[in-house]
Amino acid sequence: MILLDRVTKTYGKSMKPALSRISLHVEPREFVILVGTSGAGKSTLLKLLTREEKPTSGKIVVGGIDYDHLKDKHIPLLRRKIGVVFQDFKLLPQRTVYENVAFALEIAGMTNREIKSTVPKVIELVGLTGKEKSFPHQLSGGERQRVAIARAVVRQPKILIADEPTGNLDPKHSWDIVRLLEKINHYGTTVLLTTHNVEIVNKLKRRVVTLDHGKITSDQAQGSYRQGRAA
Amino acid sequence: MARKLDAKAFAQQKRKRRQWLTFIRMCRYGVNNFSRNAWLTIAATAVMTITLLIVFATLAARSTLVTTVEDIRDKVDMSIYLKTDVEDGAVETIRSDLKQLSSVTDVSYVSPEEARADFAKQNGKNADTLSALNEAVNKFPGTIRVSLVDINDTKQLDDFVKNNETLKANIDPDRKPSFAGERRTAIQNIARTVTFADRAGLIGSIVFIAISSLIVFNTIRMAIFNRKDEIEMMKLIGADKSFIRGPFIVEAIVYGFIAAIIATGLGMLGLFSARSKLLDYGIAIGPTIDYAVAYIGFILLGMILLGAIIGVVSSLLATRRYLKI
Repeated sequence: MILLDRVTKTYGKSMKPALSRISLHVEPREFVILVGTSGAGKSTLLKLLTREEKPTSGKIVVGGIDYDHLKDKHIPLLRRKIGVVFQDFKLLPQRTVYENVAFALEIAGMTNREIKSTVPKVIELVGLTGKEKSFPHQLSGGERQRVAIARAVVRQPKILIADEPTGNLDPKHSWDIVRLLEKINHYGTTVLLTTHNVEIVNKLKRRVVTLDHGKITSDQAQGSYRQGRAA
Repeated sequence: MARKLDAKAFAQQKRKRRQWLTFIRMCRYGVNNFSRNAWLTIAATAVMTITLLIVFATLAARSTLVTTVEDIRDKVDMSIYLKTDVEDGAVETIRSDLKQLSSVTDVSYVSPEEARADFAKQNGKNADTLSALNEAVNKFPGTIRVSLVDINDTKQLDDFVKNNETLKANIDPDRKPSFAGERRTAIQNIARTVTFADRAGLIGSIVFIAISSLIVFNTIRMAIFNRKDEIEMMKLIGADKSFIRGPFIVEAIVYGFIAAIIATGLGMLGLFSARSKLLDYGIAIGPTIDYAVAYIGFILLGMILLGAIIGVVSSLLATRRYLKI
């Protein structure tokens, strides 16, 4: 589902590479946790996957799309196939919960009838039924992240990238979000999660890939994590 | 083959329906953004209104200036004085010769009797002047009044006065033409001032319109800068550039539309309320008001178009920066 082959990303000629010859293969339906300290290269890796950045060298293939052959005008189409959840939610502040979720379908040109039948189901999936007309500022952090997840999965993407989705949440809400991601993974979506939360990583017992100074230092099928280094 | 064509037509129809749906959604988002960002909306509409009002006032001022300048030019006395006893035949010859000159637009003649009658009429309330006029021998000259294409250019007229035989035989030896001698300097000064006012008005109009357009551009740019995170998010979830830009453009058009109506209303109100005062100062605002009333529909349409164009261009330039992949 995701293939990175000797990918290097350097931001300036004299700078140290943010990623150095990274190779990673993620199977369909896998749940992969990406861990590492700040500056390890996690965000750069995700930016490469969403094509916000281009690699300096190496090959990237996501969902069968080879980024070497991807034209700029097709980038929106690629992004519609990948669901992304951010630490800071990135919701549209002037739009309701329903409108935020529907927006992802509207940009894909789906009809109003399709939207009306799909959005309520996804809102129910993330446990926000009854909050459809609320604006983001009227919701708690956990609820906002649920809206962001609903928006990311409403198009039923094959891959969901969650960039520190629990970073701004308390432990209870963090676990709610992680359980939701597990549920989505259970329905068949490949999930790539980055987190600093040791407890979550250790309890989930999923594949853990550790990045350090732009290199993969460990890749364990049922890994754990200690602050600072992988176990 | 027929089935293939049907499939193609169906796909095309579906694509068109999607485009239409997308367009409707962009409009809806634009209008929603307008109504949900109250303070931003008020600020942007207010700035746009001021801009359009400046444009309206500048154009009205320019029109009034042009009319006033034309008025002044018409009033500048370009007269040639003839002897009191000049014959009608000679006057006609001089008039027709003058009309042949390319720099001359019109020639009229005031006979000594008409000049005397005019003078008596103008001084009807002044008994002393009237009695002096009745006692005096008639010394009013016949006057040929000439209108020129350009009051700065009297060379052809000067040559005519020097060389035309009929005129030389009938010209009043005691009175020089109004555009010669000391009075020439006065005419030249008026001409220079009027030309300067005309040019300064034109440059002022352009500068005002340019500055106010820049202010609107910056206001819209700031409004869009305020929402750059939204644009970023839309990009990341796969919205294409036109879908992101669309609502901002619609929003700017709504600003322009409302601002144009307010600015035109205020502008017309301003023109009517300033009318009597400006007329007192000899400023010819009448034709401008008449024109504005007669073409109010076109003026409003023009203002709406101008507001929309300024808004759309500003939005396009401002969003471009944030829409790079």
